[in-house]
Amino acid sequence: MKRSVALFIILTLLICAVGCAPLPEPTDTFVAAMDTEMTLRLYGDTDGSAAKYLTAELLRLDAVFSPTEESSTLYSLNRFKTVRDPDLLALLQTADEVSARTNGALDVTLLPLSRLWGFIGASYCLPTAEEISETASRTGADKYEIVDDSIRLKGDAELDFGALAKGYAADVCRAYLEGLDMPALLTLGGNVQSIGDKPGGEPWMIGIQDPRQPESCIMTLALHGTHAVVTSGDYQRCFDLDGVRYCHILDPVTGSPVQNELCSVTIVADSGVLAVGLSTALFVMGPDAAFDHWRQSDDFEAVFVLKDGTVYVTEGLKGAVRNCEFEVITR
Amino acid sequence: MKTRFWIALLAVVFLLAAGACLLLYRPQSAGLEVPDSVTVVSSGRTVATLPLNEDTELLVPCQNGYNTVTVKDGKVSVTAASCPNHTCMACGAKSSGMPIICLPNRLVLQFSNTNGLDAVSK
Repeated sequence: MKRSVALFIILTLLICAVGCAPLPEPTDTFVAAMDTEMTLRLYGDTDGSAAKYLTAELLRLDAVFSPTEESSTLYSLNRFKTVRDPDLLALLQTADEVSARTNGALDVTLLPLSRLWGFIGASYCLPTAEEISETASRTGADKYEIVDDSIRLKGDAELDFGALAKGYAADVCRAYLEGLDMPALLTLGGNVQSIGDKPGGEPWMIGIQDPRQPESCIMTLALHGTHAVVTSGDYQRCFDLDGVRYCHILDPVTGSPVQNELCSVTIVADSGVLAVGLSTALFVMGPDAAFDHWRQSDDFEAVFVLKDGTVYVTEGLKGAVRNCEFEVITR
Repeated sequence: MKTRFWIALLAVVFLLAAGACLLLYRPQSAGLEVPDSVTVVSSGRTVATLPLNEDTELLVPCQNGYNTVTVKDGKVSVTAASCPNHTCMACGAKSSGMPIICLPNRLVLQFSNTNGLDAVSK
């Protein structure tokens, strides 16, 4: 009996020793796509096959969503006014959902206005009220429809998904890596996507850029698990004139750059597309309406940086904040 | 006698298991100071890793032109570039934090010291 117990203990210990394994090593892959440099940090991709697959997917999605490449599917839609593409359709439907829940604060038809203000190509200018009004007549949710899985544009309407495409790409990558049970950290331009738990048990440490000091972070978020962290702000593509900042995020109602108390909005959500869509929409809505929207929702958390320097953090995120003084938004 | 034999065997197995775990989890350079460095990545491929404690200058050619990467006084900067906007040069000299990127030339300067951050949302 004693010998049997001892044998059992020895076997158990041997199995435990054999089962000890080093933590999976991270490998970085760099991809140029969607007009930005992307970093894919994958843990345990020993043969590089996951990086290879994701690189191909990102390049494929770039060929779908680029608004300027003449060979892209989106360019074809904007030129010929109709297209059938599953990725474009899925992204448009998600954008519609975000637009509906934010009373139209997210609008994917504003490309003509972006071009008018010079945000395409960085040739900034101040258009007249008449020019804005005339161009705005080409925008709006009534300027497109979905018929039998095809997207059809009306008149001179054009679509531009901007950073939504990066959010969609993040979701595609996330689905693939979750299927492999492979932890990862993806940086797609400024959009961050964590997948799974960081090997070793430490949290993912994700900084939020200080909107007024781009080389610094206004805070760090210590997050466990899968999260999309996306920031929209008035500092990303902008110009200043006569003491007024004109940023690339346009208000669909006025046809002009958003002017409110916000410097930046950071959304933390499971889905990349949702995080991007809400970061833009809540920035447009302004702090009061944005806070109320969070109170009515249960699928995201947020950080708001105001122009007066005040930082607000939603209650579900307060435990993750490092190195920042902030006010808590409660339900 | 038999009990002592089994106890001794158990102790040996414990030591072997502990030793195996220490071997697998040992730090790569335990007790050695590794200087901060910057990894130079061009068009997705690592072309050099430069220690920041040695002044040096590296010309990085690419399909669209070139960048000159300079390490001086413990910091790295892009001191010349063929890109149209020179955003990479405007980043100035850094020794840590998030990468310096030249998007048109597909240059990424990645620091070994990231100030404890895995990524920055911006």
